[in-house]
Amino acid sequence: MHRIRSCALLVIFLVGLAACSAAATPTSSAPSSAPPSVAPGDAAGSAAAPASLTIYAAASLKGALDKAKAAWETAHPGSKLTLATDSSAALETQIEQGAPADVFLSADTTNPKKLVDHGLATGAAISFAGNKLTVIVPAANPAGIKTPADLAKKDVKVIAAGDAVPITKYATQLVADLAGDSGYPSDFAAAYTANIASREDDVRAVVAKIELGEGDAAIVYVTDAMASTKVVPIDVPATANVPATYAGIVVKASPNASSAQAFLDWFAGSEGQAILAGFGFLPPP
Amino acid sequence: MIEDVAHPTMAPKPEAEQRPMPARGGGARSPWGERSVAAVGALLAIFLGLPVVALVGRAVLDGSLAVTLTSRVVLDALVLSLATTAVSLALTVSFGLPLAFVLARRSFPGKGWLEAVIDLPIVLPPSVAGLALLIVLGRRGILGGPLEVLGIAIPFTTIAVILAQTFVSAPFFIRSARTGIASVSRDLEDAARVDGASERQLFRRITVPLASAALAAGLVMTWARSLGEFGATIMFAGNVEGRTQTLPLVVYGEFQEGNLDSSIAAAAILVLAAFGVLVAVRVFRWSRILDARGLD
Repeated sequence: MHRIRSCALLVIFLVGLAACSAAATPTSSAPSSAPPSVAPGDAAGSAAAPASLTIYAAASLKGALDKAKAAWETAHPGSKLTLATDSSAALETQIEQGAPADVFLSADTTNPKKLVDHGLATGAAISFAGNKLTVIVPAANPAGIKTPADLAKKDVKVIAAGDAVPITKYATQLVADLAGDSGYPSDFAAAYTANIASREDDVRAVVAKIELGEGDAAIVYVTDAMASTKVVPIDVPATANVPATYAGIVVKASPNASSAQAFLDWFAGSEGQAILAGFGFLPPP
Repeated sequence: MIEDVAHPTMAPKPEAEQRPMPARGGGARSPWGERSVAAVGALLAIFLGLPVVALVGRAVLDGSLAVTLTSRVVLDALVLSLATTAVSLALTVSFGLPLAFVLARRSFPGKGWLEAVIDLPIVLPPSVAGLALLIVLGRRGILGGPLEVLGIAIPFTTIAVILAQTFVSAPFFIRSARTGIASVSRDLEDAARVDGASERQLFRRITVPLASAALAAGLVMTWARSLGEFGATIMFAGNVEGRTQTLPLVVYGEFQEGNLDSSIAAAAILVLAAFGVLVAVRVFRWSRILDARGLD
C-alpha cells in the first residue's frame, strides 16, 4: 500500500514537472499542439511550421511589441509570442546565464554585440529602430521645470536608471552635451547627478515613478513620453540630443532559429517599421 | 533598581535626590504609566496593521481587486503561483518527510552540521539563494553546464520557479515535521510493534497521524513561504509573464511599470492568502492541543 502510494506520488510529481517543462519550453510542445488544419504559406513565406517564440526586449519597446505580437500571431496562426521586457543589460545577463530567449531586441548596440562576441548569437546584429531623448515631468509639474537646465536646480528629485541600463548611457551623454551649451552652468553635470533620487531597473520604471509623482523629472526616450498621458515632455535642444540605436539578434541556443530570424527580419522590415513608427520610433540611423 | 540600592550610599545632593523619584513613580504600577505603556505599544500595532489594512481597503474600495477578474497579467500569475507552489509543496513533502524522519529518529556523526545546512535557507537573504541556485544550475554552473550538454536548461523557466520556491520553503516543513515526529511517544510505537505492526504500518498508522498537526502546520508555513517567494525567483527564474511571473513578481513588476491597480490587486490576493495561513496555523495548533489532551 505504502509503496503504491509513494509511487503514485512520484508519478504525479514527474507529470507535474514534465508539464512545467513543456510550458517552459513552448517550442517543443507547440508543433504537436498546433491545430492540424493550419494552412501554411501565407504572408511570411517561411516554409517552416510556425514555432512559438520568446522575445526578450528592451523595456521601451513594450507598447510597440504588444502590437507587433498581435500582428505576428494573426499572420502566423499557431505561433505564440512570449514577451519579456526589462533593461537590455539585465536581459543580456540572463541570456548569458541560459535564459530561453529566441530573439533579443536591445535599446542599444552594445548589448547585442556582447552576445555576438561571446558566441551566443546567430549571425550579426540587425539595427531596427532609432529613438531620441526628452525630459519628462509629472502633469502637475510640482518642481516647476521649464527647461532641461532646471534638472540641476536645487531640490529637484531626478529619477534615473541603473548604470548599465542603456537610457543611462544616453542620458549621461545628453547631460554632458547640455553642459557644453551656453546658458548651462559649468557644474550642470555634477548638479544633475547630485539630484538623482533613485536609480530604477529600466526606463519604464523611471517613467512610472514620474507618473506616480514620486519624482520631479527624468530623462527618457521620446517614445516613452508619447506613450504616457500622465507626463509632460520638456523638449531638449536638437543640437544636444543623443540618437539611440536599437539592435536585435537571434539567440544561438534558440531551437527555432529560422522562425526567430523570420521574426527579426519582419520586425526590422516594412511591417515592423510601420508599427514602430506608430509609437514614435525613428528608422534605424 | 540599581539607583535605589546605590542612592543611600551616595552624597545626598538635592539633584540626586530628585532624579530617581520620577523614575520610580513612572513605573507600570501607576495607571498613568500603564496607559503610556499601552499607548507606545499601540503605536507599533498601528504601524504594523495600518499598511496592510489600507492596502486591502484600497483594493476593495477603488475596485482594484475586481481588476483581477479582467487582468490577464494577474490571472496568469495567480494560476502560475498556484501550480508552482503545488508542485514545490509536493516535492517538499515527498523528500522532506523521509529527511525529517531520519533527523527525528536517528543520530549520526555530522547531524548538527546537516541540520544547520537545512536551516540555512530560512535565514539566508532570498537574493543570495537565487544567486546560489544560478551558480549551480546556470549555463556556466557546476551542474548547469553538463545539463546544457544534455539539452536541459533550467534557469529562467517555470522549473526554476519551482526550485527557487522549494529551496527557500522546504526547511519550514522539515523543521516542523522533525519536531512533530520526535514528539510521538516511542512507547506507543513499541506497543504497536509488539502487536505485530510492520515498520511501514507503524509509520503510516501511528507516527504520521500523531504528528499530523505538526505536519499540517509545517505544510501551511511552507506553502506560505513558497507563495510569497520573490528574491530567489526574480534572480534565478526572471520575470516573464505566464512563465515565471508569480504573484509577488506581479506586485513588483506592475508597480515598476506604473500599473498600480494590477499591483494592488495581486498584493491584496497575497494578503488574503497570508491571513488564511495564519488562521489555518491556529486551527492546527488547537487541534494539536486537543490531540494531546485526548492522549493523556
